[in-house]
Amino acid sequence: MTRVTTTWTTRGTTSDALGALAAEGATGALSGERGIVYLSAGRVVHVESAFTPDLGALLTHSGAVPPDGWWDAVDRGGTEHRVGHRLVDSGRLAAGALEVCHLGALFDAAYFVLAHDTRARRFRPGAVHWLGPVRAVPVDVVVRESGRRRDLLDRIWPDPAVDTLPLARVPGAGTAELPGRRGRTLAQVDGVRTAAEIASALACRTYHTLVELRRLAADGLVRAAPPAAPPLPAGPEPRAVVWDDPDTALLRRLRDALEAL
Amino acid sequence: MANLETSLKECLGSIDGATAVALVDYTSGMALGTLGGGKDFNLEVAAAGNTDVVRSKLRTMEHLGLKDEIEDILITLNTQYHLIRLLKGRGGNGLFLYLVLDSSRANLAMARHLLRRIEADLEV
Repeated sequence: MTRVTTTWTTRGTTSDALGALAAEGATGALSGERGIVYLSAGRVVHVESAFTPDLGALLTHSGAVPPDGWWDAVDRGGTEHRVGHRLVDSGRLAAGALEVCHLGALFDAAYFVLAHDTRARRFRPGAVHWLGPVRAVPVDVVVRESGRRRDLLDRIWPDPAVDTLPLARVPGAGTAELPGRRGRTLAQVDGVRTAAEIASALACRTYHTLVELRRLAADGLVRAAPPAAPPLPAGPEPRAVVWDDPDTALLRRLRDALEAL
Repeated sequence: MANLETSLKECLGSIDGATAVALVDYTSGMALGTLGGGKDFNLEVAAAGNTDVVRSKLRTMEHLGLKDEIEDILITLNTQYHLIRLLKGRGGNGLFLYLVLDSSRANLAMARHLLRRIEADLEV
């Protein structure tokens, strides 16, 4: 049973709301400005954000799970909220590997949802994520880690715009002798892609990519691209990843399901 | 098909002399899972500190232009061995297993061998 929650709405930031919900042992989905945190009995079971590639993207782009295998697991396990179990039961992925990858995606998304003191929007009691239970993490651990990551990133280069805006190379900057991962990250910077898209292309977790991107920014090789006028007067929306609709996750899931048909 | 919990338990259960183990993300220094330790050995602190060891070694290798990879790092104390094993996963997943061994009871060669086997269940 999920108790009806009342205290969270009076709290300011998403982190505060999450703390209140954890204290109540709540189950459901808390939408913030930058993503959604899924709770089960007051513990964080999943976090998703449009600023980070999701677990499916990480697993399929890295080659750990073939795309067919991923979609098969989503098809068969999605309605029962057991996609994670499906992947393991079908022998596509070791349980430990799933947990490690899931925790990576969870903390990556949590950084965006929690680290920048954005506001909580709404809480849907009883909402469950289709991935199903993988590994639950206490709320205070997630909140603490998000803050710690923000501080670590700011120590490298204090410009949070690098995390979310399209990134461009600084013209004329030399790029000689970069260590492996930083070089591969720089190669993906094209003036259009954001950190999330670069992480997805590299099949690398977002925080690791952010570390490399902030180092590149500190070295004067990369900067957040200015919000240029949209090149084509095509759509009313310039191409920017904005998490403004609490139900974006639902829409994305629908789209994914339709694509998988 | 061991999960994280069982992999960590296997480290303590099957490796002679093992007293504590952690799986650590060395980009952030966060421990994804810990087992053992206790009040006189704070694994969270050890995880964060040993992250600096790994990073510093990786940076040194970068400066030296070595294209090789670290398989493991052994730190020998008077009464303990600390073994750090980097996971290799295809995505370059930036994790290491950190194992604390009681040196009077441990068999290093065996510990390294078993750790390599346990690692296979955690790689992505």
